[in-house]
Formats: sequence, C-alpha cells, structure tokens
Amino acid sequence: MKPLLLIVDDEIRVLSALRRALRKEGYEILTASTPKEALALLDEREIDAVLSDHKMPGMTGLQILREARRRRPGAARLLISGWPEAVQQRELDALAVQALIPKPWDDAELKAELRAALR
Amino acid sequence: MAQPTRVCIVLLKLPGTPESATVAALARLGAEVAVEAVPSASAAGVRALEIDVDLIVTDTGVPASELRALLERVRDEGPPVIVVLAEDDSALAMDWFRRGASDCVTAHAANEALPVAALDLIRRHRASRERRIAERRIASLRRTTRNIIQNIHSALLVVDGACRVTYANAPAEDLLGELHGSLIGQVATRWFASDAATDLPLLRTLAKGERFRGTEVLLERADGQRIPAAIFCGPMRDDEGRELGAVAILQDLSEMRRLQRQLFQSEKMASIGQLAAGVAHEINNPSGFIDANLFQMEEYVADLRRLWRRARSLESAARSALATGSEGREALRVELAAWRGEADELDAEFLLEDLGKAIRESREGSERIRHIVQDLRTFARPDGRERVWADVNQCVDSTANIVWSLMKHAVELEKDYGELPPLLCHPGQLKQVFMNLLMNAYQAVVARVGDSGALGRIAIETRLDGGQVVVSVQDQGVGVAPEVLARVFDPFFTTREVGAGTGLGLSTAFHLVSAHGGRIEAESREGTGSTFRVLLPQTPEGRGS
Repeated sequence: MKPLLLIVDDEIRVLSALRRALRKEGYEILTASTPKEALALLDEREIDAVLSDHKMPGMTGLQILREARRRRPGAARLLISGWPEAVQQRELDALAVQALIPKPWDDAELKAELRAALR
Repeated sequence: MAQPTRVCIVLLKLPGTPESATVAALARLGAEVAVEAVPSASAAGVRALEIDVDLIVTDTGVPASELRALLERVRDEGPPVIVVLAEDDSALAMDWFRRGASDCVTAHAANEALPVAALDLIRRHRASRERRIAERRIASLRRTTRNIIQNIHSALLVVDGACRVTYANAPAEDLLGELHGSLIGQVATRWFASDAATDLPLLRTLAKGERFRGTEVLLERADGQRIPAAIFCGPMRDDEGRELGAVAILQDLSEMRRLQRQLFQSEKMASIGQLAAGVAHEINNPSGFIDANLFQMEEYVADLRRLWRRARSLESAARSALATGSEGREALRVELAAWRGEADELDAEFLLEDLGKAIRESREGSERIRHIVQDLRTFARPDGRERVWADVNQCVDSTANIVWSLMKHAVELEKDYGELPPLLCHPGQLKQVFMNLLMNAYQAVVARVGDSGALGRIAIETRLDGGQVVVSVQDQGVGVAPEVLARVFDPFFTTREVGAGTGLGLSTAFHLVSAHGGRIEAESREGTGSTFRVLLPQTPEGRGS
C-alpha cells in the first residue's frame, strides 16, 4: 500500500509543483485548494500525512492540521509557509506538527521531512 | 513731549537800566504769564532755545550788536522776538524785521501795543510748534510703518482697481524675482500661473469684494520659476468706504511643501514597510513553485537524455539492420525492446507533457513576480511636480493588488469599477491615499475576524458622480465610535498599538486629497464597519502642490 498524502494549498500552481517534486517518492497524492475540499478528503480517505500551507482564505494551515488531528489522529502533520516567521513554535508544539517547511522549499529537505514523518 | 500750559516770556533787560514801560506792559498780561528777566543777550539766546519759552521781548537799551546776535541765533528754531524801541523809528523797525524780529513796539506805546502783540505771537508760535511736533510724529510713524512693512517676512502687494501694483514691499520683490522698485505700475496677474486666470483670488477680490485667507496659488516668477504660495487678500477701502483696490499678502509655501512631501513620502515608506512582509510572502509562492519546477525539469532533462542515448543506439541498430539484412534484425529487435522498456519506465509521454506544463506554470509564476515588483516600484516612486493624466481605476486596482497579498487570508475583496474619465492628478499620491484606506479597512477587518479563518468583506467602488470622481472603500470591520471618527484625520491619532502604524495614514490621505481640490468623507458604525469616500473634482482649482 502506498502512503496516502494530502497536500493543501490555495495556490494550484504550488500544488502542481509539489506533486511534481514528490512524483518518485512512492506516495499516492491527493490535493485540495480550499479548506472545504481538504476536510471532505480527510473524512473520506485514510490519509497518512497532511502537508498544508498556512496563510489561506477561510482557514489557516494550523486550523486544517487541528481538524486533521481530530479526524485522523494517526496522520502525520506538516506545515509549509512562505511566511514561516508568522507561525509560533508553541502553536506547532501544541498540535505536534512534525515540520515547518519554508517556501521556497528545498526539494531534498521536503522529501526527507516527509519520509521522517511517515516512518 | 507735554505742551507747557503756562506762558513763559523771556525779557532781555540789561542790568542797571531803569524800570521801563515794558515791564509794566508785560505785567498787564496777568499772573498766568511768567516774565523771566535775563541780563544778557547771550543768556537770552540760551534760554530762548528751550521748549517752554513762548516769546522773547528785548527791552530798550540793548546794544544793537547784541540784539543782532540774538536774532541771528533764534531766527529758525526759536520763539518769536518783539523788539521794544526807545522811539518811533520806522527805518530801524524795518531793519529789525528783516533781521528776524516778529514785531517792533515803541516804548511809549508799549502799554497798549505790547500785550496785544505778545498774545498774538504766543498763539501763533504755539500753533506752529504743535504743528512741527505733529509733523515729526507723522514722519516717525511713517518710518516705523515702512520698516514694519519692509521687514515682515511676507510679501505685501497693494493693487488699484485695474490690478496695477501701487505698493510692494521688499519681500514681494524678492518673492516675485523682480528688481527693486520695478513692481509699481505692473499688472499683478502676470505673476500668477493659472489655468483659469479669471479665477485668481486677487481678481475675484477686485470684482466681487471676496476675501481669501491662505488660498493656495501658483506664482510665476520673473525668471519663469513656479512656486506655491498662500494668498491672503481683501478689498482696500478708504475712510469713507470707497474701494481703492485690493491688498494682498503672499507667503512662500515651497519650504512647507518640501517638508510635507518629505513627510508624505516617509509615511508612504512606512506603509511599504508594513506591506513588505505580505509582499515577500506573495513572492515566496511563485518563487517556491518555480524553484521546485526547475529542479524537476532538470531531472526530466536527465531522463530525456537517457532516452535520447537509447534512441541513438536504436538508430545505429536500425542502420546496421538495413546494411546487413537478417543478422542485424535480431539486434534491432533487442534495441527496440530496450527503448520501449526505458520509455515506459521513465514515463516518457508524461515527462514530455509535464515538462511543457512545468515551463508554462513557471513562466506564469515569474510573470506574477514581475507584476508584484512592478506594482511595488510604481507605488514607491515619488510623483513629479506636475500633474499628469491618469486612470483612477488603474490607480485603485494596482494598489488593491499590492495590498491583496497582505489581506487575502482575512478578506473577501469586491471590486466594482465604474467608467471614469482620465483625471489630471498625481497618481502616486492617489495610490497612497487608496493604500491607506485599504490598509485601514484591512486592519478593521482583522480586528473583527482575528485569526478565526473567517473572511470580512471589503468593497471598493468607483463612480463618476456629478462631475466628481468618487472612490469608496467600505469594510465589514469593527467600525469606530463617533468620537473616534471625529479624530481619525488628526495627525498622529491612532487606535492601533504603538508601532503598528504611523498614525499619519488618514491625515496624509486627507492632505493629499485636499491638494487635489477634493475631500474625504467618513462614516462608521461600531461593530458594523466603516466607509471612506474620496471625492475628486474633475477640474481641480489651480493649486500647486
């Protein structure tokens, strides 16, 4: 079984690039560009890891990850943001977020963080 | 200088001369008249020049030479002199008259004639002395007034009914760049640059008696340089209320304008600082996916190279098969299978398709970065001095685009742009105004929705309404109480915490809009939101900001 990864970002170009970057990582990748889509997928699918952007209309990435923990407590949680300074460490700790990845991201680092989170 | 009330007569009477008719005659003038006898002509001369002396009477027996010296001495400045002659001698009397005596009386007639002559001369002397004092006062007052007018640091112009200069002080000559004394007689309108010359305050004062207090005008100096100034003017009337023309004070505003521009520019830079974080975030997204795409494309190219090497092997196998016939066919079959295997493994179809997609998406990303940087740069650039024709909708939209990156996580932005004519304006200043209004709206929304993830609406609307360009920014933010709303345009007034704003945003906006001849209207309800409306006249008054 391939691990099931959900990527959330309001920028479809970012989703497309992340999907491209992780093409050979052996994941099944789902993407959502709105909070609504993300929550629906969390309910429907046995998701193993959630990688979410932070600043988005409607819900912040931390709020998505909080929902993810409620709905899929076993899923790994990762945050990716173009404005990582705006995220407080204690907020990450409170939700046991495995990694905060800055944008623009380093492909190798991104892959390593995901592998570690899914171990 | 108090006018002595007591009459003082100096009587020159040499010692040793017998009691004469003169003394008795003077005594008839009464106790109000002090008669002061002096014993020599030189003493009389000294005394005569003092202010309280009204008249000098020389008694008989004064030697002619001494009398001549005395008359010489008091001739211009001193009091009148009556010469008492020992006998009737009209030739002698004429001689004394020529030498400056005011009157001559014969001793035997002194009893009757002297008091009459004395009183008459005293009255006339006092009147002329008063006139001299008044004249001196007037001259001194004139000097003072002239000094004040020349030394005030404002230019003063007085014009007649035809707007010709009748008076100008030195600062006026300096301000208008004209030579000393050359302003008089010139028509004052020549120094005012205006698109609508009939609208000049000075002409309106002359035509309708209007008064102006600090209205801004653009002066055009003799050397062609244009400088902003404030004009204070009103009609000038004489004591009977007849119109004489107008009097105007002009104040050079260039320095104030320069400081104001500096302040507005630093206010703008402060807002740009606030924006920078949001804009950086906005650039990080495209830069993130461009970067990742490039990395991926590199891998795609490596894969395609592998495939190309396979294709070359396939090509040479095909060539030898063609040359050798059947024995080469087997090798070709092997190469073909290897090529297909490689192509399938690498997912060549997908690779080629996705490579094109990755390039398109990356180009779109770099285009986006270019736009963001361009918007930010046109926003930061200060305006030139002259107004230019600009599309207000475009100003609003490019500003909204910059601010959008900062606010999109909390705001739902509605844009409704009406059709607008081009406006002669300072586009950078207008963008700064819209930016301040949008930032305020955004902060009001954030204060309401916080980090809840809920969205607050901001509606931007542009319209042409009654010859005015109207731009309104309406937010569903926290709103403010009436007492706060009354102060929002005050400089340094802020409801935000220290460091979260300069407190100059709205006051700057207010000034910039006023400089365009327009105004800002504000409405707000606590808990509901606020609306700010910028009203800009299509044809602003000739103001030189």
